[in-house]
Amino acid sequence: MKHLIFDAGPIISLSMCGMINVLERLSENFDGEFIITPQVKREVVDRPMKIKKFELEAFGVKNLIDKGVLKLSSEFISDGKLSSETKRILKISNSAIRSKSSGEKIKMIHEGEASCIAFSNLCKCDNMIVVDERTTRLMSEAPENLKEYMQGKLHTPLEIDMSLLKEFRKDRFIRSSELLFIAYKKDLLPMKKEKQLLDALLYGVKFKGTAITVEEIEEMKRMI
Amino acid sequence: MKEVDNILRILKSASQMIESDKTLGLKDLSDQTIHSATISQDPDNIIVAVLVYALSKSFNRDYYRKMEGWKTFEESVKKNLKSAYFALESNDVDRCRVGLGKIRNSINKINGNLSNYIRSIFERAKINKAFRMYEHGLSSEQTAELLGISLWDLATYIGQDSSAESRHPISMPIKKRIKLAEDFFN
Repeated sequence: MKHLIFDAGPIISLSMCGMINVLERLSENFDGEFIITPQVKREVVDRPMKIKKFELEAFGVKNLIDKGVLKLSSEFISDGKLSSETKRILKISNSAIRSKSSGEKIKMIHEGEASCIAFSNLCKCDNMIVVDERTTRLMSEAPENLKEYMQGKLHTPLEIDMSLLKEFRKDRFIRSSELLFIAYKKDLLPMKKEKQLLDALLYGVKFKGTAITVEEIEEMKRMI
Repeated sequence: MKEVDNILRILKSASQMIESDKTLGLKDLSDQTIHSATISQDPDNIIVAVLVYALSKSFNRDYYRKMEGWKTFEESVKKNLKSAYFALESNDVDRCRVGLGKIRNSINKINGNLSNYIRSIFERAKINKAFRMYEHGLSSEQTAELLGISLWDLATYIGQDSSAESRHPISMPIKKRIKLAEDFFN
């Protein structure tokens, strides 16, 4: 059984682009389950339900949970077990980078992302994480570039303990943009398939928070 | 409270600018707080960043100054800013926080449109500072939590961040990521 684990960011960007229901078509074409953790559910359903501006979007996500398109992680792993592993992940990841001058630890990831990595560790199955956040992906896929990237952002010299980040190397990530690319290629979208649609989808999620560069979008378009 | 000297300097300067009615510099002052707020991830630094930014927006809108309730708000800001930095000068962090809190609460003491306008400025100031902290390298979730805003509010702002895109490191070539995704869905 495969598991595709969702962080909050991709669900938010897909919702804000009006594309959240694509997940239903994708799940029908996927041999596995789409998972959200309680930490992510809090951000994509519970919290926006109390904000009038985003209440409707929250109902859209809740509808997918009610229909079983998005499965709660508790169906597979207890919340207690997930919470302990999440804490362990947070402790490791947020100890890896320190300010050289003050020695202060720099928090890189937060509960939502950490809970996705925790589920990935615990589920003992073929899995992948959907995360739009650049830092989380860098931490796992290219930690050697993380120091320079964070130094550039924070304008302060940093120290990185690479040994702590070793265990994240096994994680695999895609973004909401790749999900839309697949939906487009498999013709799972509610619109007529035409080339400009892919452009609209990819720039749509970019402007709603997906960390994707213009160069990456243009290259994706050339791949069709 | 971290970076106490910096907070003291910011509060003192903000107070002087408001007292002398030279408030255009408040925005720059607010920007100076973001760096330390991001590194320290300290709520007090963040509160000061949001407060000074909101004050810069409020004090630089002339028509607000003509509205009913402005004097009450202005007096409260002046009095409590002073009280906050005096407290910090004598290392009384708790009393400093009370002073800062009173400025925020003074919005509740004014009626009518001005109250709504200033409240909305504070809300937007939070999102603005959140975005600036995100630009400074914090994750969106972390930023949202520190500022007490929702990820949904932040998402649109993040989408506008194309600054220095060429300097963003690519952690995996796009062809490889697409293959990863396609293999997983096949």
